[in-house]
Amino acid sequence: MFDLVMAKYNFWIYIVLMMIGFYAMIAKNNLIKKIVGINIFQTAIILFYISISFKRGATLPILTESDMHGHTTIEIAQYLNPLPHVLMLTAIVVMVATLGVALAIAILIYRKYHTLEEDEILKEAK
Amino acid sequence: MTIAFDIVLQVFILICAIAAITVRDLLSSVMILGAYSFFMCLMWAQMGAVDVAFTEASVSAGIGTILFIAALMKTTRRSRD
Amino acid sequence: MKILGLIVTMVTGALLMYGTADMPDWGDPNSPANSRISPRYIEKTEIETATPNIVTSILADYRGYDTLGETTVIFTAGVSCILLLRRRRKG
Repeated sequence: MFDLVMAKYNFWIYIVLMMIGFYAMIAKNNLIKKIVGINIFQTAIILFYISISFKRGATLPILTESDMHGHTTIEIAQYLNPLPHVLMLTAIVVMVATLGVALAIAILIYRKYHTLEEDEILKEAK
Repeated sequence: MTIAFDIVLQVFILICAIAAITVRDLLSSVMILGAYSFFMCLMWAQMGAVDVAFTEASVSAGIGTILFIAALMKTTRRSRD
Repeated sequence: MKILGLIVTMVTGALLMYGTADMPDWGDPNSPANSRISPRYIEKTEIETATPNIVTSILADYRGYDTLGETTVIFTAGVSCILLLRRRRKG
């Protein structure tokens, strides 16, 4: 039981983070709070992907001097998995682009309805 | 990876996430979200993903917070929940 | 609405926590994600690109078109922000 908890408790913390963001997305009434929830959700997903690239006892994915020029064979277990890092680098930049568009739409809604609360907007839009 | 440092970082991240969605003042919420991004960046640096960590620190914690504050200046900082 | 949202969140979280039972252990060097494709990048990046940083060599060299598409996404987001936020002239 203790081994299971020690091997898996990181995943449970990522799932709790994702649940916080998901709850803010569907249950909060304010539009800016919903955008904050989207941000937390995406960060939790990126954290999960980074965590599956982690290897115990490995170092950064940057080749050392002896591996770079020497004639030694490269030890695979010595370096972290670099592929999820690259994909999540792209995902972070796309996250900020969607954040900008979402905030622009929120500003437009405030200009038209003079409020950011969802129920007031729905009442006024009828 | 040091277990104690790891657990302290995860507790801070959870506290920041819960505080960011429960605070009523929107400017405080956005500031706590910036702190959350920096703690997340520390955690990635500790996992060995240094490129992702400094991209997060500059893009998400820096430009994201600035975008949020600019949007709040154009709208209001009060909220009901 | 808040109660319904809480119920949906709890059900989703419980299903995902049940799903972690089949995940490989955290930090396992022999997990499937770490043993299929990435060893090829780690072995060949010095011969093919002469860059010590493996992440940079994949980002700008092996997956250069991916990065080009990413800049297209940022360009589209910037243009849509400008189009949404400009003040229309009256008349």
